[in-house]
Amino acid sequence: MAFDRPPKKGGFRKKRVFHRRKVCRFCADQSLSIDYKDSKTLGHFITERGKIIPRRISGTCAWHQRSLTLAIKRARTIALLPFVGTMD
Amino acid sequence: MRRYETMVIVDPDVREGDRLPLIEKLTGLIPQKGGLLVVRDEWGSKKLAYPIGKRTRGYYLRLDYCGQGDLVDELERFCRIDDRVMKYMTVQIEKEVDLEKIQEQILAAQQAAAPAAETKSETANAAPEAAAISPDTTAATGGAPTAATEEER
Repeated sequence: MAFDRPPKKGGFRKKRVFHRRKVCRFCADQSLSIDYKDSKTLGHFITERGKIIPRRISGTCAWHQRSLTLAIKRARTIALLPFVGTMD
Repeated sequence: MRRYETMVIVDPDVREGDRLPLIEKLTGLIPQKGGLLVVRDEWGSKKLAYPIGKRTRGYYLRLDYCGQGDLVDELERFCRIDDRVMKYMTVQIEKEVDLEKIQEQILAAQQAAAPAAETKSETANAAPEAAAISPDTTAATGGAPTAATEEER
């Protein structure tokens, strides 16, 4: 309860989590292009299970994540990337 | 005119003697419907990410061409009927295309490929020649920007 909260140590809370600034890989390196035929690059943006990694984790910007998603889905259609990965 | 790209996965168990006429038939459809073949790229036998029809490998063929929608319909209809084709996918690359510019690019790619092909081997069939164009065109489009950024660093 609020009234029997233990006294805090120190002046203020030091609960700040360390954030590494994430940069969109495609914005940082303009020469990188998103292509559904390039399964090696796209492979970095899917999990072992074959799911698309959300941009809050990968750090990709919204503009590139949209084209990335499309490229991954196209690559899946033509069997360059798996729909369901295997857990070894 | 639009620019399309079709990926076809052919059964890898089909012998080369059977596969070549099939590929010729597919590429032959393009000029029939008033299209223009830009690049014919054969990736060869590759491992599939998931089995298609109980097969784990597939022979990849990429066709880059300009044409109208009915050409795509015809190509896809052919792929559906032929059971040597395991899977196919067509993607639109450009909505509006300048045919003259494309033809210039093809000519430039052929000229770039010709001296290289002469030194390599004299067995210049129609098929390897067409395949030789593709790496040059990809190098021309994709290679230049990478070289520029490397210099900056």
